[in-house]
Amino acid sequence: MEPLSSFFAVSIILLGIGIYGMTTKRSAIRILFSVELVYNAANLNIIAFSRLRNPPIITGQVIVLFSISLAAMEAAVGLAIIILAFRINADIDLRKLTKLKG
Amino acid sequence: MTDPAFLVVAAVTIIGAIMAIEARDLVYGAAALGISFLGIAGLFILLDATYVAAFQISVYIGAVVVLILFTVMLVGPAKGEAPMEHKRASLFAAVLVSMFLGIGGSLASANAFPGVEVCGSGCDLQILSQTLLNNYGTQLELLSFVLVAAVIGALTLAKTEKA
Repeated sequence: MEPLSSFFAVSIILLGIGIYGMTTKRSAIRILFSVELVYNAANLNIIAFSRLRNPPIITGQVIVLFSISLAAMEAAVGLAIIILAFRINADIDLRKLTKLKG
Repeated sequence: MTDPAFLVVAAVTIIGAIMAIEARDLVYGAAALGISFLGIAGLFILLDATYVAAFQISVYIGAVVVLILFTVMLVGPAKGEAPMEHKRASLFAAVLVSMFLGIGGSLASANAFPGVEVCGSGCDLQILSQTLLNNYGTQLELLSFVLVAAVIGALTLAKTEKA
């Protein structure tokens, strides 16, 4: 029997990797990767927590289904923004996107 | 005690995630991200959430990773990331903190949480569909409206502007 804490451990490690990527990378696509990783860490955490109740409850899986759909939308809009930024600036280095600076 | 299947799937997930962030080429990064998502789906299967695992594979690997690959190809090869100061130190810190929180927390709380037992009716596919359609039908419809809004927003953003 695998203890549930192992699944929480994987979730936390994924969260750590995602935050590391978000804070150190400059490419917008890489930051989007990191956001997706954090999303997945949260989904895994919810599924594991829904097994904690005795008897297990199905609502956790329903929530994760909604969350996955929302993550897909977020990726679509994010990639559209990245393409727009590339068209305006010919670069997706986020530290060079300073058009909005007054 | 530890399930070997869990170890393999967790290692695939974590190594895929690290490769996705650290791979030099964005195309390899996207592929590694897909492998990491596949590992997450495996973890869902180990938690008896098979439908969610199938949904994860079809949405993430079928749609999101392909979309990312399209964008990587449209945007072209990266111009090379400018070297960060303290890059190695921050990677080391990230690995250290997540390992400490993850593995340390897991070891410390190993007895606080029960193991994954046979789920029974709590993970039944029929009950999942009943709950989804009976109790969350309105939210499902709302979600489709949000999806339409996201598609329209993405199209509006990506549309060529005759400036």
